[in-house]
Amino acid sequence: MNVNDIPIVSLVVFLPLLGALVVAFLPGKRTDLIRWTALGFALAAWVVSLILLVGFTPGRPGFEYDQAIDWIPLFGIQYKVGVDGLSMAMVVLTTTLTWISILASFRPIQNRVKEYMVSFLVLEVGMTGVFVALDLFLFYVFWELVLVPMYLIIGVWGGVNRIYATIKFVLYTLVGSLLMLVAILATAFTYFASQSNAGVTDPWQGAFDLEVLTRFAGGGGFDPTFQFLAFGAFFLAFAIKVPMFPFHTWLPDAHVEAPTAGSVILAGVLLKLGGYGFIRFALPLFPDAAQTWAPAIIVLSLIAIIYGAIVALVQPDLKKLVAYSSVSHMGFVTLGIFVFQPQALQGAILQMVNHGLITGALFLLVGVIYERTHDRTIAKMSGLGARVPVYAAFFGFFVFASVGLPGLSGFVGEFLTLIGTFAVQPWAAVVATFVMILAAGYLLWMFQRVAFGEVSDFLKGLGGHLTDMRPVEVFTLVPLGALVVVFGLFPGLILDLVDGSVTQTLNAVLQGAPVALGLWR
Amino acid sequence: MGYEDAVTLAPFIAAVLVAAAILFVDFIAPGRKVPALAVTFAGLALVAILVVLTGQGAVTGRDEVTAFQGAYVVDPLTTFLDLLFISIAALTIAFAPDYLEERELPVAEFAAVLVFAISGAMLISASADLLVLFLGLELMVLPGYVLAGYHKSDGYSTEGAIKYFLLGSFSSAIFLFGLAFVWGLTGTTSIAGVAAVLGQVADGRPLTPGLGLGLAFLTTGVAFKIAAVPFHYWTPDAYQGSPTPVTGYLSVGPKVGAFALIIRLFAEALGPLAADWNVVVMVLAATTMTLGNLVALTQDNVKRMLAYSSIAHTGYMLVGFAAWAAGQQSGMEGLLYYGAAYAFMNLGAFAVIAALQKRLGVTSNLSTFAGLIRREPTLAILMTLFLLSLTGIPPTAGFFGKFYVILAAVQAGGWLAVLAVLAVLNAAAAAFYYLRVVVYMFMRDPTTEIPSLAHGRLVWAGLAVATVLTIVLGLFPGAMLEIVGGAAKAIIS
Repeated sequence: MNVNDIPIVSLVVFLPLLGALVVAFLPGKRTDLIRWTALGFALAAWVVSLILLVGFTPGRPGFEYDQAIDWIPLFGIQYKVGVDGLSMAMVVLTTTLTWISILASFRPIQNRVKEYMVSFLVLEVGMTGVFVALDLFLFYVFWELVLVPMYLIIGVWGGVNRIYATIKFVLYTLVGSLLMLVAILATAFTYFASQSNAGVTDPWQGAFDLEVLTRFAGGGGFDPTFQFLAFGAFFLAFAIKVPMFPFHTWLPDAHVEAPTAGSVILAGVLLKLGGYGFIRFALPLFPDAAQTWAPAIIVLSLIAIIYGAIVALVQPDLKKLVAYSSVSHMGFVTLGIFVFQPQALQGAILQMVNHGLITGALFLLVGVIYERTHDRTIAKMSGLGARVPVYAAFFGFFVFASVGLPGLSGFVGEFLTLIGTFAVQPWAAVVATFVMILAAGYLLWMFQRVAFGEVSDFLKGLGGHLTDMRPVEVFTLVPLGALVVVFGLFPGLILDLVDGSVTQTLNAVLQGAPVALGLWR
Repeated sequence: MGYEDAVTLAPFIAAVLVAAAILFVDFIAPGRKVPALAVTFAGLALVAILVVLTGQGAVTGRDEVTAFQGAYVVDPLTTFLDLLFISIAALTIAFAPDYLEERELPVAEFAAVLVFAISGAMLISASADLLVLFLGLELMVLPGYVLAGYHKSDGYSTEGAIKYFLLGSFSSAIFLFGLAFVWGLTGTTSIAGVAAVLGQVADGRPLTPGLGLGLAFLTTGVAFKIAAVPFHYWTPDAYQGSPTPVTGYLSVGPKVGAFALIIRLFAEALGPLAADWNVVVMVLAATTMTLGNLVALTQDNVKRMLAYSSIAHTGYMLVGFAAWAAGQQSGMEGLLYYGAAYAFMNLGAFAVIAALQKRLGVTSNLSTFAGLIRREPTLAILMTLFLLSLTGIPPTAGFFGKFYVILAAVQAGGWLAVLAVLAVLNAAAAAFYYLRVVVYMFMRDPTTEIPSLAHGRLVWAGLAVATVLTIVLGLFPGAMLEIVGGAAKAIIS
């Protein structure tokens, strides 16, 4: 058997499923065995994804490592997977954050360890599946698969209001995704109808195939009214996931109530599903509608950027502050996508990766302090720098990364987005730039209140309980920190990887013609 | 009755004989469940084999066979529905003994009555004549009334049974009245004959008042049987009051049976008037799924919640039927697929409730499910699977059923596309109450310390079948798609 015959993408997706099955059959009392087995499978998936990355040739058009098997031939539904640069980046981000999250859950999760690890591994299956699926039906299956384990992770291992938060999360997501299902079916059927009019023998052939549909869309296959409606449905599903203002209200609840590792994955990967969905599905399938909707989406993105920052400024709770900063940061992603400009789109993708790393790390850090103090109130934390210097140093590093300090990766993503935006929509870039100052404001002010100043009575009262970072905690943060530095200094590593995807997406949307985007210009 | 007729009728005759045999065995060995159950399952297996053989024309050598001068027909639709009915009966009987024995209710009679009901459903699926159709309907629902009141000493069971009986007979009368109109105006009771006459009448002319009245009566009668809103009021009480295994049966058996009746009557006999009745079907679909879901949202009793949710599922199935009437073959396929998927996942859910209620005095309130994952992890995980399937989360049978029905509605376009959007919004609302049970099972602590129970092997076997089918129909729908495709083609229109 040739090395190239190994369905390596499927291996990344289904290794965690195998892991979940193995863990499910381990005796529930052997918690350490369960933890290490789960970690082992997550690491294995990570290693395989790195092999995938090494073998990947950036810049080649189309998808690599593709694999297609007929699944439901009657409707032309296939099990079809493959990766391009964008998927590649997202898959590696997912596998990396998953093993880090599992490792970070070793101590905090003492209750029902087996179910927790099974949920986490199934979650990984869904997430990587979404990033590699090239068939709309398959994509939808993975998309919904993500929902169930996350629902359990928040609902079983979350905080006080976990049940309210998790039901809100599920209902929000379901409304969006079910409407998207209708749109997927309508898209497939429109293709089917045109094929059967053309007298093709099997008109369902390829009706759910992303590549076929993209070509069909490129040839003007979908009429504008249809595009407008179908894009609307896709938009709702992805906007809720991102989340864009005004669909963001589930996010603070879910983030605050979720266990630390749940927040890491939620912020690090689940929010990216929305951005990825826009780039991979909504734009190439409905290019005209994307342009019609763009001005409104740009305005919503700006509102999200400003609103998220302002609300973050007044949060008394560390985790809520990070959650709202996510709304603001993800606003840059949608802004970068919908100005349809190469630099901006590159910036948006980079921002997706950065946000995953940085916000993931910030949630881990909040989790570290919460585990020791059982509190997240900013006002009670003053003087952490004096008590736990290593912790404060890590915290400071990631806060600065989140602010967008040049030299760290956060800067490059936002900078590229702003430059690209300025080229086509200067007014939007100006507004967004001012908010970067606000971001510096809420993050640095928070850091100042937490790290410096007199040691608070609350912290004094904890006495010896307030220990500094343990080696394992350092170990979970170091890879994230290293990547933040590497991508800050050499953003080309990611930009080269996703270059092909960026060009392809923009070609699909702009269809070669220069586009009059300046609605208010 | 000639030899040919007898051969064609063999599955139906066998079903009646099996029911009689169960009673006979119980007469010889009173109160012993093992021989009765052995006869039941062996008999059902035999009936299933006969259904397949007759359906394949192995006996007669023909694809579609009729008996009694065309009053009785065996086509792929009959075969599909009969096998579904037999599976429903077998699963119900597998889940029942544990529950019934604790309450000192006889097992053998339960099995016999249920098999009688199934033989009625089989008669519906094979009818090519309006009178046979009505006979089948009555033979199906009468045992249902008995089953609903099976727990004689329980007030709720009796109350539910009386409501079910009164409204059931009332609706049967209305239905029969409607049949009389159709017979009077067409001069025939043969389904093909009615369709032929109506085809000429409907040809570009408005509906006559008499036919209109007949249609209204028939629609009302059938709407009662499938518990479509606003004719659903008997459902919650009948479902909540009945012994739990019976509720499971009532929520799928008579429902699929009534849909078989709808297909034979509306799709085949009244097919030429589709343009007239389809508006009503669409309105019924919209109100049924919306109201069923809205009321289910507020229920604290899981049985009652599933009763209302079964109303909502009727609505989804009606969407498929309306899409068929609007000219989409896939609507009928979707309806049949949904029927099968719904039967297995809903029976599975009720089986879990019945298993929990094995101990006397355990209610079907939400609190019973609190912390179930600690007490009975297997049951909790299976219940979660069935509930996710009922919600329509992939990759489960329920998801593919919804997918199919919605696909058909989207294909039909126009108002049906609006109905498709309404259906998915309803599915999202339904997620709330289905997941509420999951919340209790996984995220609440048990209110009382109840040790786990030992469940019979039969229960586990039945649950295994329901589980496998729920997953397979979701992940690998290919085989079932071919079957429902063939069944849908058999419908004359």
